[in-house]
Amino acid sequence: MAKVRILPDRVANQIAAGEVIERPAAVVKELVENALDAGATRIEVEFRHGGRALMRIEDNGHGMARDDALLALERHATSKIAEAADLDRLASYGFRGEALPSIASVSRFELQTRAAESDAGTEILVNGGKFVQVRDCGRPVGTRIEVSHLFNSVPARRKFLKTDQTEAAHIVHCVRLYALACPRTAFTLIEDGRVVFRSPECSTLEERVAEIFGKQIAESLVPIETDEPGLRLSGLIGRPGVGRATRHEMIVFVNGRPVDSRTLNYALIESYHESLPKGRYPLAFVFFECDPAAVDVNVHPAKREVRFRSEPQVRGFVIRAVLQRLRELGGAGDATRAVSLEAGGLRREAGATDPWPQGRAATPLAAGSTVVPLRPPETERRGAESAPYPRPVVGPAALAVPSSNAPPIENRKSEIVTPAWRFVGLAHGNFALFETAAGLVLLDRRAAHERVWFERLVGQFRAGAVPSQRLLLPLPIELDAIAAALLLDRLTFLATHGFEVAEFGRNFFRVEAVPAWMEPGDAVPFLRDLIGAFRNGTIPERDAGLAHEELARLAVAKAVRLPPTTDEAEIRALVAQLFATAAPLTSPQGRPTYIELNHGELARRFNR
Amino acid sequence: MKFKINRDHFANGLAQVLNVVGSKATMPILSNVLIEADKDHLSLTTTNLDLGIRCRIKAEVKETGAVTLPVKRLAGIVRELPNVDVSFDASPNHSVKLSSGGSTFRIMGIGKEEFPPLAEFGDEKAYSLEQGELATMLRSVAYAQSSDETRYILNGVYFSFKDGKLSLVATDGRRLAVMAKEMEVPAASAGSIILPAKTVAELTRLLDKGAKVKINFNDRRAAFQIATDKDTSGLVDHVYLYSKVVEGNYPNYHQVIPKETHQRIKLERELFLQCVHRAALVCSEKANSVKIKLTSNLLEITAQSPDFGEAHESMAIGYSGPDLQVAFNPTFIMDPLKALTKDEVFLELKDEVSPGVFKTLESFVCVIMPVRLS
Repeated sequence: MAKVRILPDRVANQIAAGEVIERPAAVVKELVENALDAGATRIEVEFRHGGRALMRIEDNGHGMARDDALLALERHATSKIAEAADLDRLASYGFRGEALPSIASVSRFELQTRAAESDAGTEILVNGGKFVQVRDCGRPVGTRIEVSHLFNSVPARRKFLKTDQTEAAHIVHCVRLYALACPRTAFTLIEDGRVVFRSPECSTLEERVAEIFGKQIAESLVPIETDEPGLRLSGLIGRPGVGRATRHEMIVFVNGRPVDSRTLNYALIESYHESLPKGRYPLAFVFFECDPAAVDVNVHPAKREVRFRSEPQVRGFVIRAVLQRLRELGGAGDATRAVSLEAGGLRREAGATDPWPQGRAATPLAAGSTVVPLRPPETERRGAESAPYPRPVVGPAALAVPSSNAPPIENRKSEIVTPAWRFVGLAHGNFALFETAAGLVLLDRRAAHERVWFERLVGQFRAGAVPSQRLLLPLPIELDAIAAALLLDRLTFLATHGFEVAEFGRNFFRVEAVPAWMEPGDAVPFLRDLIGAFRNGTIPERDAGLAHEELARLAVAKAVRLPPTTDEAEIRALVAQLFATAAPLTSPQGRPTYIELNHGELARRFNR
Repeated sequence: MKFKINRDHFANGLAQVLNVVGSKATMPILSNVLIEADKDHLSLTTTNLDLGIRCRIKAEVKETGAVTLPVKRLAGIVRELPNVDVSFDASPNHSVKLSSGGSTFRIMGIGKEEFPPLAEFGDEKAYSLEQGELATMLRSVAYAQSSDETRYILNGVYFSFKDGKLSLVATDGRRLAVMAKEMEVPAASAGSIILPAKTVAELTRLLDKGAKVKINFNDRRAAFQIATDKDTSGLVDHVYLYSKVVEGNYPNYHQVIPKETHQRIKLERELFLQCVHRAALVCSEKANSVKIKLTSNLLEITAQSPDFGEAHESMAIGYSGPDLQVAFNPTFIMDPLKALTKDEVFLELKDEVSPGVFKTLESFVCVIMPVRLS
């Protein structure tokens, strides 16, 4: 007897189910996708005991005729594609034709459906892959599928399920994703008879986010929309400074499909490099669209992963788009937003329309010249073939050659919008409290000071005009052999940044001049930190622009001193300087420079 | 303890010792003044352990004794008392009754036992100086002290009694000021100390009370006895200032003072100060330097800041050397000019990387390092 045999369909289906149906949420995912592919505008999902006992997905899509319904339960039967070439122009969620038979093979599966043109609906019952019955039934147009006793035929799989709460959380997350993907479809999610959320048809993504993630999150988001030939990014991203400890609220859709894309996730994280502290993840609900042929979704049976034909191009595009948006937000955003709120506008509307001050929007060129480029994407650093990263045009101020007798005077004072905040006081020497039209603002002096100095230093470095104070008493610095070699190679680099260091013996150096803003006492520790950064390769001297920023970042963190005492005038000057910078909302490390407590928040705290 | 005292004398005495008390003392006793009544005078003492001051004032003592009281509050009260005659009565439980005219205060004090004693003179090195002269010397160099706590050695004025002269030196690593005075220095008493910045400030404040000041010091501490013979507001004997010194080796300042003179110009101090001050008005934190340009019989001072504008000042001088220009931090130029009192100063320059040196005829030298745009 032959040892090799072809497996019966039922076994094959169970094997396929092992890949596609790993947990109850996968059932929900497949069936919701089917409903959406069927053009449903209303989908109701109900489940009990984490999906273990029952999952019911009901839609008002176009339904199926009896023959189609029977055929759909066969393996590799689908209405969504017809030939291999269709894989390159996929517009539907599903295409593999595996979901229904797989689900049916591991559960008690009951399908009711009626197509618009049929008079009667069809009811099919399958139990553990065994066909039980088919009969007529009455039902409105659309499909309803009930899956109960999941994994009854594969007890091993059943044992691997997590607690009901965990499985329920997966289902809720999954339905939320599809609800976000299709704001125009009404979703209802019911767990154990209790409505988890019910969202009517929403006209915009903002409304949908507010419906299912809550108003608070929706308020901390701003719309983004960018086009490039063949690529499009739209959706909502978090305001600078608003971050999360996990990446659960970074949600990415590729051509409408929720996916885990490393490329896109990293591009987003990278874009927020300057707007969030390290280890924090941005909020994002973004839709990335591209030619279906440029992306392969057939990587993973559950289609959670996708591959892009040109990853660097996608990455570069996303970073450009998000950075551009974050930079636009660099104005006196919150203050003006709050003012428009005062004027009676709805907050959500205020967020959707363009609330940025005229001064900034109307003079993009001048503003551009003072913008400090945020950290360029890694693709560029690695010299990959990505599209060139747009470096801001060096403005007249930067071009001013100090040796010329009369450098052009940068005349930009008039454009700077300083918010009308009333200074209330200074707490703990560091936090300045202001009263604003929208509530209260707490400013972190340190973070604001760092931002101001960061831009000041980058400006000096870029202009090549770094005032260097020569020292009366040169500072000795002794290094180990590797550090000494590193330093020797970079003496000219240091000289252009204000440090004059001379070799004074084997592995022994003397610092003869320091940047004018630096206290001589900080010079040696700073140089040691800097050499450490050279050693770690975090300061690439080949890329001058990037090196300037990294150096400035290190300098403001380590060596720029906060003035010890301040009065109101100094704090006011600091605020004015802060809002003259390109990104006043965050420090160069991505910490927020100020936080706003609006009237609503205050009223909530005081139970008013 | 019981005494009667003139209100203004009492207030003046308290004002002498008030500054030492820190605002956030870790030991409550350190915010108190020790009041000791003895024969015909009171002693008022405060200390923060690093620095202590004691002064004596005239009083009509009826009963000797001692008590400590919170000095800031007490000084505030004494200043405001309605009548010149003040009577002070301390009970054994350290509660003090203070009365003047129709007002009476009862103040809770702490016993003198907890008050840390001031170290007294031992057989240290001792010198005597004119108060006015020492004050001038201190003022001529004190601005150059460093305020950077990471280089604590420089946070003070260096006193060097050596080679037949007393030199006072201060530097912050970018500029250095030295003022010297010829005096007899016995070999056995030669030595040096670094007097902390806070002590320098207190000492400068106290040095106008009489003719002489006596200095005693060893490796760890210094003491000043400031005679109060000129003072008419109740101070008697002398004010005693005790201070720890900064321990460590002061950098060798001789080697940073240029030995040779290249280009030397004579300047009218006030005029030059005004010019630099005006030019510096356009400086910002971003561009904090003024450029000095020397051409034949002309000195030009320019300053500019990218986001404000520029300034140009010119002064006629006697100069015939080569053209040169050099930039400095304007504060470094103005500080010595403000501190000096002579009308004429000399400025020595060489090139844009070499230090500028101010000199006067009375052995004053101030070296300032230039700023360069790299």
